[in-house]
Amino acid sequence: MTRGPLPTSMVVLIGLLAGIPAAIACDSPRQMEGFKTCADVAKAESEGTLVVYSTDPEAAAEQELARFHALFPKIRPNYLRLQAGALYARLLAERQGNVYLPDVTQLADMSFALDFQKRGGYMQYVSPEMAAYKPEYKSSPEGYWTWGALVMAAIAYNPNLVSREEAPKTWKDMLDPKWTDAISVKVTISGLQHVEWYMLRQLYGNDFWSQLAPLKPHAFDSYVQQFDRLVNGQDKVALTAQYSGYLMMKAKGAPVEFVIPPDGVVAAPQPWGIVKEAPHPAAAQLFMDWFLSLPGQTGNAEVLLTHSARSDVPPPPGGVSINEFKVLTPTDWHAFEQTHAQFVREWNKITGLR
Amino acid sequence: MNRPRIEVANLAVRYGDVTAVDDIGFDIASGELVTLLGPSGCGKTTTLRAVAGLETPSGGNIRLNGETVYSASERRNVPAEKRGVSMVFQSYAIWPHMTVFDNVAYGLRVRKLPAAEVRENVQRVLGLVQMQAFADRPASKLSGGQQQRVAVARAIAFSPSVLLFDEPLSNLDAKLRAEMRVELRELQRRLDITSLYVTHDQEEALAISDRVIVMNGGKIEQIGTPEDIYNRPRTRFVADFVGSANLIAGKVRGPGSNGTLLFEAEGGVQLEVVASDASTERDTVALRTSYIHLGSMPGSHNAVPGRIHRRMFHGDFIQYVVDWPAGQLIVRRPPTELFDEGSEVTVSFAPIHCVLL
Amino acid sequence: MPLVVLVCGALVIYPIAFLINESLNVGDPSTFPPEQYGFDNFTNLTDDYRALANTLLVSCIATVLAVIFGFLQAWILTRTNIPGRQRLERLMELPYYMTPLIGALAWGVLLGPKTGLVNQAWRSLGAPGDLFNIYSAYGIAWVMALFEGTVAFVMISAAMKSMDPSLEESSRVLGAGKLRTALRITLPLVAPGVLSATIFVFAEMLGSFAAAFVLGIPGRFYVVTTEIWQATLSFPPDYGRAAAMGLSLFGVMLITLTIARFVLKHGTYTTITGKAFRPREMDVGAMRWPLLALAWGYIVVAVILPLGALLLTSFERFATVILPQMHFTLANYQTALQMGSVGPAFVNSLILGVSVSTIGVVVIGVLAWIIYRSRMPGRGAAEYVIMFPQAVPRLVFGLGLLWAWINMPIPIYGTLWLLGLAYFTVFLPLGLRTIASVVLQVDPSLEECARVCGAGWVYQMRTVTMPLLRPGLVAAWLLIFIASVRELGVSIFLMGPNSKVIAPAIVNSWLSSSSELSAAMALIQTATVFIAVAIMFSLARRVSGVTQ
Repeated sequence: MTRGPLPTSMVVLIGLLAGIPAAIACDSPRQMEGFKTCADVAKAESEGTLVVYSTDPEAAAEQELARFHALFPKIRPNYLRLQAGALYARLLAERQGNVYLPDVTQLADMSFALDFQKRGGYMQYVSPEMAAYKPEYKSSPEGYWTWGALVMAAIAYNPNLVSREEAPKTWKDMLDPKWTDAISVKVTISGLQHVEWYMLRQLYGNDFWSQLAPLKPHAFDSYVQQFDRLVNGQDKVALTAQYSGYLMMKAKGAPVEFVIPPDGVVAAPQPWGIVKEAPHPAAAQLFMDWFLSLPGQTGNAEVLLTHSARSDVPPPPGGVSINEFKVLTPTDWHAFEQTHAQFVREWNKITGLR
Repeated sequence: MNRPRIEVANLAVRYGDVTAVDDIGFDIASGELVTLLGPSGCGKTTTLRAVAGLETPSGGNIRLNGETVYSASERRNVPAEKRGVSMVFQSYAIWPHMTVFDNVAYGLRVRKLPAAEVRENVQRVLGLVQMQAFADRPASKLSGGQQQRVAVARAIAFSPSVLLFDEPLSNLDAKLRAEMRVELRELQRRLDITSLYVTHDQEEALAISDRVIVMNGGKIEQIGTPEDIYNRPRTRFVADFVGSANLIAGKVRGPGSNGTLLFEAEGGVQLEVVASDASTERDTVALRTSYIHLGSMPGSHNAVPGRIHRRMFHGDFIQYVVDWPAGQLIVRRPPTELFDEGSEVTVSFAPIHCVLL
Repeated sequence: MPLVVLVCGALVIYPIAFLINESLNVGDPSTFPPEQYGFDNFTNLTDDYRALANTLLVSCIATVLAVIFGFLQAWILTRTNIPGRQRLERLMELPYYMTPLIGALAWGVLLGPKTGLVNQAWRSLGAPGDLFNIYSAYGIAWVMALFEGTVAFVMISAAMKSMDPSLEESSRVLGAGKLRTALRITLPLVAPGVLSATIFVFAEMLGSFAAAFVLGIPGRFYVVTTEIWQATLSFPPDYGRAAAMGLSLFGVMLITLTIARFVLKHGTYTTITGKAFRPREMDVGAMRWPLLALAWGYIVVAVILPLGALLLTSFERFATVILPQMHFTLANYQTALQMGSVGPAFVNSLILGVSVSTIGVVVIGVLAWIIYRSRMPGRGAAEYVIMFPQAVPRLVFGLGLLWAWINMPIPIYGTLWLLGLAYFTVFLPLGLRTIASVVLQVDPSLEECARVCGAGWVYQMRTVTMPLLRPGLVAAWLLIFIASVRELGVSIFLMGPNSKVIAPAIVNSWLSSSSELSAAMALIQTATVFIAVAIMFSLARRVSGVTQ
């Protein structure tokens, strides 16, 4: 939030002259119902539409957007779900063809967000709500992307098949040969999987993964498949089990249990940002303000069953607070990004793709 | 020994509401060629197929060589492949994926004859139809006439006791048809195979058959030798369908001379006619067009003046339309007897050719 | 008139050109046009030999199974006298209404290892292991064969119906029994039709995606299409490799199709003379009941079982097949119907279905006439080109379409127009094949008569040709309509926020929401298609009058 000696307009002018894209912020944000905004609300409403690209499940994302729509009935949200890298690839393909459809985008992988920032794809808009986020949870300089959610993952198992005594308690318990052919993980394209691979490697060395490989884990595109198989007994344990998936199944009454290893739970962030050439910029800014605020984040946590990066947001329904466990997440994202090719090679071998 | 080869009795074939064959019966003696003749839809093909076992009748019974192959009352229906009859189809049904040899050998191979015997038989019958040179040719490359010969060869290869023909010549052109007709008859005579032949071509039927069964609307109109059918038709239909005939309307007035009957047609024309059998209420006389002379005829005959209305040259004969007091007559004369249109002639014909129906 | 051919040809070649272009891209995949060209993508394919081998394995097994299913059903329903044949023939269309995705999901429920419903029943009978594990190459082949079996059935029964029955009768009269007749006469004569069906089905299998996606990946069994899928999902997306893999499949298919054309041309037996044959049924006597059971068996296994499994899942709170765990609810249907995107997706799919079929049928009718009836030079080449999309895996073609159209100055990207254009391009082979068979049966003298009477080409087409082709046109319309509504491979790539369609939505929900929700959506989709087709069918019957 720029509160420097120069008024905003001067900053913008200098920025333009220097050729640096200027940060949009404001001196006196408007107080709306539960959140502050720097956006021009009237203009947003006249734009009338908001297009969001994200990897979140459609049913849940639409519920969250419906809440926004309830607050601003004149703005109609339009949501497109794409999977993992396909989302980012589509974004880039469109831009390269000079087609600009989305206003706001969530990217499931920090590598993508960093890459997009490098390419100048994000609009730099400093929302007043960003103040509530720790520096490591948003872009630097701020305003490009912010973590809209934190996806936690650890181990889950089916209590009908695996007794409490047999169940793994730590990450290292997973290396027991009794889990051969009974483990599910996520596929190579999963950002979450990349984080887990990276963090456990840091904790235990690369031996961890080379010892896991002979257990022949089954890889899946989605946590839905993993949990279905767990419930139906086709797998006994899920190694990259999303906490949100566990909460969802538990709420439906399915037999699942979640293990919080003492060494920590892996967390993959979901960076959200406004696309620079957004066709509805004011609506996008208004949305970001609301989304990153307490009501927006609380709503998001409720529908997606994920945690928020804001500390004042309650945990998802049925879940434990983020303070109850140790969060394993990379600190140096650039270093993380550079391990991607290696991860792909190794993970393909572990999951039998190549 | 003299037991008929084919015996059909009370045969009926019905499809839903439609009766294709309505209670017919006939016998065919050994070595005979009998033709089922009639217009399309008269039931002749259905009857043939019923004898072959390709149609299931609704009633009656059929015996082949003394054995019952179909009987409604006994609920017996021997399948086609076990009846031992052979058939030549209208479309020839030559299998395009085999050679001529394989086509002809099929029936022999089914009967598991040794290869040498098969070869001998195939070559024999191919010789009979003059197709030896084509033995190894793929069957799909044959012309219509050649296919027809192969179909016949195939049918006789295993020396069946009964041979069925389903309009085998109707897909050929007129000249070929005339030639093939003769060849078929020759073959049948030579091999002495009992044959049941179906056609709608009355000229063909008359030329090759020992006896003709005229059918119409699922029923039999008349059974007889070709001469019988031609000279002594029993019904209007037969008179009209077989050969060309004039149908003269009128009334019987009483006996005439020499055992004839006096028949008065329209316009006061008085004719002496014969009846085919004991007469009841008859009001039509059938008179064949080729039995009418133009000009006077010696001997006791009917003679009536008339005038040529139209003349049409048909090559082998001339057809005249002659006006006479009872209307119009169609007369066929050899091409040497040329009359101009409009000229006066005397129409004369013998009483024996006036058949009272 | 040649304009139509050129436009359609261009529609097909343009995306393929992009594919070829991209397959040679060995530089940064996200730059366009590619910066570096090379053959590395192709030479690297040898690393992926396992996926290629898997693809061939599954395709071969599936093709053999599908042709067997199709042949048996065709023979039973066309040549024997089992009761209720007409009804069964209509029921044979049903599997076509469901996407293979739905089928794969359903079979996972039925034959999943340890807990599949059938496996559970099997175990309760005392058997030690599973009856069958559907998550395997054979499982994938089985599901694919069940669905493609209907296609094989339609093609083979058409060949059987157009066979001169006296060819079989003469065999029987000569003393051959029914079995011998069937083997020696019927089989060789329908062989060209069966071969044609086999090639077509094989092409479909090579490019099929849904079954391998659902049933292959969990078992670590990858085929080319699922590998291409993975390649496009990763970042940076390995488009070059994806394009190279897709083109290699295309190459295999082109070769197979060419061989097939060659064989068929030289070995065809002209049994289809255009004469109307009434195929005479064989009386199979006591075998009627086992054969009837077999015919119904196919319907039960291909349609009723999977639909039943889906129905069960859609009503569960969480998808399970373990009886004591089951809880039931209507919530899935509520969610599905209330989802903001579902309504527009259905509407879009239906709009696309109707418009693509309607326009497609007219254009393809003209194309078919040009290719098979006119003397325009180059029409053989035109036929070849228009059949291309059949040999390219749908997924790969979708990629080509994406690049091709995103770079066009015409702003149709992201709109329904693009999807419509894409569907049209992709369904050209299907429509052409259907209408061609009818065109070939029309006696040319009927059209020549019109010309002699003074009708110009357009007038003749409108008043004589099109009405004569009507049964084929109606059939093509229905086929394209159904194919459009259940289309997945192309839609996944070209869908935009304003142009969502239903099949990708089901996949999305299966991947990200829950199996129960996707089961509910799948059933809603199947029901919608069913109702729509029933309406269209009755409309078509009214329009076509008594020509049926």
